[in-house]
Amino acid sequence: MRFIDPVHDRWRTVSGEDGPLVTLTPAAHRLLTLQQWNGVKSQWPADLPAGVLFPNDADVEDLAEDLPRLALVALQFPKWVDGRAYTQAHLLRSRFRFAGEVRATGEVLVDMLPLLKRTGFDTAALRADQSLEAAERALRFFPGHYQGDAIEHRPLFARPAGEACTYADEFLQAGSAI
Amino acid sequence: MYVYTDFDKQFVRQRAAQFRDQLERNLAGTLSDDEFRPLRLQNGWYIQRHAPMARIAVPYGELSTTQLRMLAKIAREFDRGYAHFTTRQNCQFNWIPLVKAAEVMERLASVDMHGIQTSGNCIRNITSDCFAGIAPDEIVDPRPYCEMLRQWSTLHPEFAFLPRKFKIAVSGAREDRAAIAWHDIGLQLLRNEAGEVGFKVLAGGGMGRTPITGQVMSEFVPWQQILVFIEAIVRVYNRYGRRDNLFKARIKILVKAEGAKFVEDVQQEFGAILERDADGAAHLLTPAEFDRVAACFRAPAGVQPRPAGRHGVPSDAPPALRRWLERNVHGHRIPGYRAVTLSLKRPGQAPGDVTDEQMERAADLADRYSSGELRVSHDQNLVLPWVRESDLLAVWEAAREASFATPNIGLLTDMIACPGGDFCALANARSIPIAAAITERFDDLDELYDIGDIDLHISGCINSCGHHHSGHIGILGVDKDGSEWYQVTLGGLDGSALSGHASQPGKVIGPSFAAEEVADVVEAVIDTYRRERAAEERFIDTVQRVGLEPFKAAANAQRRTTAAHAA
Repeated sequence: MRFIDPVHDRWRTVSGEDGPLVTLTPAAHRLLTLQQWNGVKSQWPADLPAGVLFPNDADVEDLAEDLPRLALVALQFPKWVDGRAYTQAHLLRSRFRFAGEVRATGEVLVDMLPLLKRTGFDTAALRADQSLEAAERALRFFPGHYQGDAIEHRPLFARPAGEACTYADEFLQAGSAI
Repeated sequence: MYVYTDFDKQFVRQRAAQFRDQLERNLAGTLSDDEFRPLRLQNGWYIQRHAPMARIAVPYGELSTTQLRMLAKIAREFDRGYAHFTTRQNCQFNWIPLVKAAEVMERLASVDMHGIQTSGNCIRNITSDCFAGIAPDEIVDPRPYCEMLRQWSTLHPEFAFLPRKFKIAVSGAREDRAAIAWHDIGLQLLRNEAGEVGFKVLAGGGMGRTPITGQVMSEFVPWQQILVFIEAIVRVYNRYGRRDNLFKARIKILVKAEGAKFVEDVQQEFGAILERDADGAAHLLTPAEFDRVAACFRAPAGVQPRPAGRHGVPSDAPPALRRWLERNVHGHRIPGYRAVTLSLKRPGQAPGDVTDEQMERAADLADRYSSGELRVSHDQNLVLPWVRESDLLAVWEAAREASFATPNIGLLTDMIACPGGDFCALANARSIPIAAAITERFDDLDELYDIGDIDLHISGCINSCGHHHSGHIGILGVDKDGSEWYQVTLGGLDGSALSGHASQPGKVIGPSFAAEEVADVVEAVIDTYRRERAAEERFIDTVQRVGLEPFKAAANAQRRTTAAHAA
């Protein structure tokens, strides 16, 4: 999981969203709203990967055909307890085989990280007050799980015994260290 | 019982460590109370009137004596010496300070227990029939499937923040003793014509403000596919369930609104997982996994068929013993064995409550007479599942000493009641004094036996933890102008044989009653039944035959406080 530093993030949203969509100049690392993207995608250069900020109440299947042209899909947590984007990330990875960046945006808290990682997010723009140290720790509690997920598709019961956890030694010792 | 592997043990310890980290950040002020709330809820910690309430999972109601003794120890050392068993087969503590929460979770982890997903908007503890694996009318033992579902749902990354709570109940018998139609997902195990095991799947049941029973999603899902089918249901719900209104967020509202479209969406999603997803078939259950889990649920060592009918009870046994044999002792699939209910419904204690001392006694009884195993029932009692018929007399004597032998199982005083306003911050009204008043009013066993089989359910608020909607008599606490009132319903059905294998919400018989009128109303309703009943007719059958009117009239005649209000 990579944490987005907003100051140094290469991806830029395009302001003036209310203006005519055709005025959007294609450029690298543009993070467009879904509406902007839908407005410009027919003219957008085929070799210029774009980013899309995707609302959590839209259907990711509608984006399926565009995915090869996208380098980033930023999913949204308007409230951190609204879990729709977990399903969207899962579908992007497992159903639509999206291999680009899936980013968590909005109200992103450290305690969401294990869920984000397992549903297929690879970057997270943490809320400004969140502690990176707590974030790193939150990712270390459970090196093994019962269900399959976006990273390990097989559930525990379908994995050979020796493969139960990715980091067996760390897992067995983690409890005593915390 | 399921035997924890090293993985399972370590997993629960890690959960305790994760919770300690979150609690410490909260106590240090770096994790706000608002943001800690959903995290502690998913570990079973509520903030209540007096102290946090801790809800401990008892997966599908199975409890070892080691675990029960740990609950007793926690009650003694951290609480005020008692605990409460719930309709969802869980165990609750009411007086543990939050600063001690992490320590309690670590103690629980040492006996393979936890509070994972006992609250919060996630998949909750899986519930089942308290006679699973021992019932003579069982089609398929539900416990291995419950355990596989427990594992699959535990810390499922996609479904930890659903629109609302999500409850799954599983029945494997001809009689539904798990109220499956009242759950978000209800699973009925069955065999098809070829003898293959599968599930009839219901979804969209629930109580609350809008009581609705579940709709059939599929008449038969082969057991291998059940995790995938449930994943499809929960995913459709996570995407489309309402999040704008807390009271319309349960899956029942979505299922009701979408109707056949919901079923189509689920079928389509189910197909998409298997056909389109990367390794979409990975969660098909395998015979090897079933065998591994099912091996844990064989009958305990030493349990084998014995000569039946030798309970050693003399023909001149006292009526109390004969009644106990009639009410508290149940049939068993293994000849020579019985299940025994330890009644947690007796004067002086709230329904479902036990002291630490009583928990120790129950554990002793289970060790001596039930292969070290107990069950928590949906009706808030404890069950000894492996009792030899030849031990019944001894069990009765020991149960009586521990105040577990009230011979009232299935009778009026064997009522379901939530903790209500005495403890619960959500409640509008108290349940315990109402339960106590009714228990006191009907303290005559002859009268209770004459009234016969009946379900009385009491909830302190519309959240319906006391399942008032499904009670033959339901009592619901409501708040008006800051005081407590009680709405009475009749004719609710929970799906059991006594309810005619049907499920439906009861009907309100009129405006709410005052607290001091409730016992009179119940008595008037019961008197009406005794007057109107045909020979051998049970309460619920009389209500269905004669309709609500005579009961309404009798109940309304009890109005004193509320008569003044109405005038």
